[in-house]
Amino acid sequence: MKILVCVSKTPETTANINFTNNNTEFDTNGVSFIMNPYDEWYALVRALELTEANGGSVTIVNVGPSINDAVIKKGLAIGAKDAVRIDAEPTSALFVAKQIAAYAKSEAYDIIFTGKESIDYNGSLVGGMIAELLDLPYISYASSMELAGSTATLQREIEGGTEVVQLDTPFVVSAAKGMAEQRIPNMRGIMMAKKKPLNVATAEAAQSNEKVVEFKEVPKDRAIKMINPEDMAELVRLLHEEAKAI
Amino acid sequence: MAAYTDMEHIRFVLHEMLQASTLCEFERYKDYDKEAFDILIDSTKDYADKFMYPLLKEMDEQPAHYKDGKIIVHPAVGKFMKYCGENGSIGSTFDYEHGGMQLPHTVYSAVSHIVQAANNALPGYTGLTQGAADLLVTYASPELIEKYVPKMMKGEWGGTMCLTEPQAGSSLSDITTTAYPQEDGSYKIKGQKIFISGGDHEYADNIVHLLIGRIEGAPAGTKGISLFVVPKKRINEDGSLESNDVITAGDFQKMGQRGYCTTHLVFGENDDCRAWLVGAENRGLKNMFQMMNGARIDVGLTAASVASAAYHASLQYAKERPQGRRIQAGGVKNTNQEQTTIINHPDVRRMLHLQEAVTEACISLLLTASNYQDRAHFGPEEERQKYHELLELITPIAKTYPSEMGRVSVSNGLQVLGGYGFCQDFPLEQYYRDIRIMALYEGTTGIQSLDLLGRKVIMNNGSAMKHLTKEFISTIKEATSFDDLKPYAEQLKSASKELASTTQHLLTFAMQGDHERYIADATVYMEMMSNIVIAWQWLKMATIAKTALVSGNTIQSTSFYERKVHTMKFYFKYELPKIAACKHTLHSEDNLTIPEANQVAFS
Repeated sequence: MKILVCVSKTPETTANINFTNNNTEFDTNGVSFIMNPYDEWYALVRALELTEANGGSVTIVNVGPSINDAVIKKGLAIGAKDAVRIDAEPTSALFVAKQIAAYAKSEAYDIIFTGKESIDYNGSLVGGMIAELLDLPYISYASSMELAGSTATLQREIEGGTEVVQLDTPFVVSAAKGMAEQRIPNMRGIMMAKKKPLNVATAEAAQSNEKVVEFKEVPKDRAIKMINPEDMAELVRLLHEEAKAI
Repeated sequence: MAAYTDMEHIRFVLHEMLQASTLCEFERYKDYDKEAFDILIDSTKDYADKFMYPLLKEMDEQPAHYKDGKIIVHPAVGKFMKYCGENGSIGSTFDYEHGGMQLPHTVYSAVSHIVQAANNALPGYTGLTQGAADLLVTYASPELIEKYVPKMMKGEWGGTMCLTEPQAGSSLSDITTTAYPQEDGSYKIKGQKIFISGGDHEYADNIVHLLIGRIEGAPAGTKGISLFVVPKKRINEDGSLESNDVITAGDFQKMGQRGYCTTHLVFGENDDCRAWLVGAENRGLKNMFQMMNGARIDVGLTAASVASAAYHASLQYAKERPQGRRIQAGGVKNTNQEQTTIINHPDVRRMLHLQEAVTEACISLLLTASNYQDRAHFGPEEERQKYHELLELITPIAKTYPSEMGRVSVSNGLQVLGGYGFCQDFPLEQYYRDIRIMALYEGTTGIQSLDLLGRKVIMNNGSAMKHLTKEFISTIKEATSFDDLKPYAEQLKSASKELASTTQHLLTFAMQGDHERYIADATVYMEMMSNIVIAWQWLKMATIAKTALVSGNTIQSTSFYERKVHTMKFYFKYELPKIAACKHTLHSEDNLTIPEANQVAFS
């Protein structure tokens, strides 16, 4: 079983988010980066569990510059066999998907995992795009997955219940909470990571179809208004007219 | 979840101050790189967040206790030992040949800080196991190493150090535990040991005690002390375990660190306690000092970590608690205004700054001490002696300053919360109880101060002090290249001279043969020297921060580096001037504490 896990680098969850260059770029000054938790905790760990149970290997792929190697090595420390970094700035979801699809095309992976979304831009786009580019089935937001031979049974949490889906490999799946439990790399894994292959691939020529015009932050100092508990009419008025929540 | 440490500060100390990745140039550490260090500390934080911090309060509320001849501890102890054993962290700094990971001590200390800050009741169980295994690896025969160390490394067996006896605490020369030689080369042990941390619990199949005692007929005093390995259970030829007549007579209920058991052990009550010599006869105390020195750094690290957790808890509270109003021009308050959060009151800010200044400098000092350890053992040959002496000199300070000023820091943190700080609704009262032991563990503040002034300052004709002074001068020189740091560099220069003249003044007593007078106020000397060492750490941090700001070569946010410079200024304004009082006391001609000269006192 050959599994590819797509991982992104995202800001650490408590990082201060600021923008620069006329609010068109994320300001990385002083920001610590981590592997996108959906990629790490759910996609990568479930991929490792599947290969541990059924044999096979897990490869990590990332699109980004060499500074991303630190994040990729964590994936190797957790247990992936090897990694590929496609050496390009990830300018859009489509660009990233095209790079990964181009790489994966010749490798015949049985399963391609992504996280359900990245915690920075929350697009949930790459998995579906890779599936389309490779002409593979795509299951999004899967919260569990079992494998019997080449047949996978997946669950998706949907409004009001659960959807159970069955399909044969190869396919692309985006992993959501519930798919696996976070696995913390141990010391032996961390030491082994340095010795595992981290290959650098040249990016395919590809263009992004969109550009960011502006990022807008949520106003930081929205004042707290104290309302007399007896005055429900005022609460309703504020929720309706100011917060526009009702 | 509440914060208990600052990962940005840890990364700053590791990578920007100590250049930890340069350790990977040493043959011993060549299998590591910066990314591996970062993954390790981040993963440790993940584990501590998930498993350790949530149990901090619960372990305090369900203390370790003695029941029916056994010590009952929180089940987390078993899980933690198993995790550390499987993870490889118990022997992480050991040689590969002994199943270790050859992790630099510098990085190990960063890891240790994170887990101690998350839950200071747990790491002692594995820390002492590591220390005991390290002692075996260094001094025991290959047979003994093979017999005990692998299971200790796996976290299946625990380890302790057994020094204190009911009549011999700080004065180890008075221990009476006796070892009687047997024909097969082993010894029979008789004696009692108290205050044995991690001395017994159900989550280790065996506990391996590293015990000091006297071989029958050995000379009196420290020159007759030998080191032994005494397992709770003996290992038979077939590998099975049988009782070794080590009885757990009770435990000690403590004001803090209540999840970390402290036991009273009786050896050889039924004349059937067997021990094996570790190292040469009568060299036990010297050998045991290897473990004790490591334990002293660990205690300092625990103190710094508890202080760190307290700082972050009080900082969070101060940012959220509305109380009172700012004083406006003319000295009036506008009571129509909404209350401000207490972090906006200058006196609260002063207390938070003190906590920040103490905590962050303690972490940098302790990681620096561990860095000296790496360089003393595995660095270039020509530098090893220097770093060895620096480590020897810094160790009592790295143990004492965090223990003493960490307690003051936690007390200030508790004060920030007002009456709530005294209540169990917030963790400050626990941190205050937990940190109090640190000035007692592994040699009290008094003992550390005697070690500093009585041994370390004068060893090799003051060679270590010369090395430290050179370190001060180097930092002063670098700081002087920035105009706004010059005044602080001058202050450190002046403080360093005050220290030298005070040392010289005290040495005149020793040269006149009045050794008791020389060391009578060693604790005040410790206070003075520690203060200057911490000022040096702050000037160093501020200089590195300033260099990053000026060059634009910043790894962290700009405000992070600006904060470092700001906190250095706080330390130089509020803390460093206190050395003048120490100097005054140490130069005073009044001799008020030596009994013969002061018969009237306590009469």
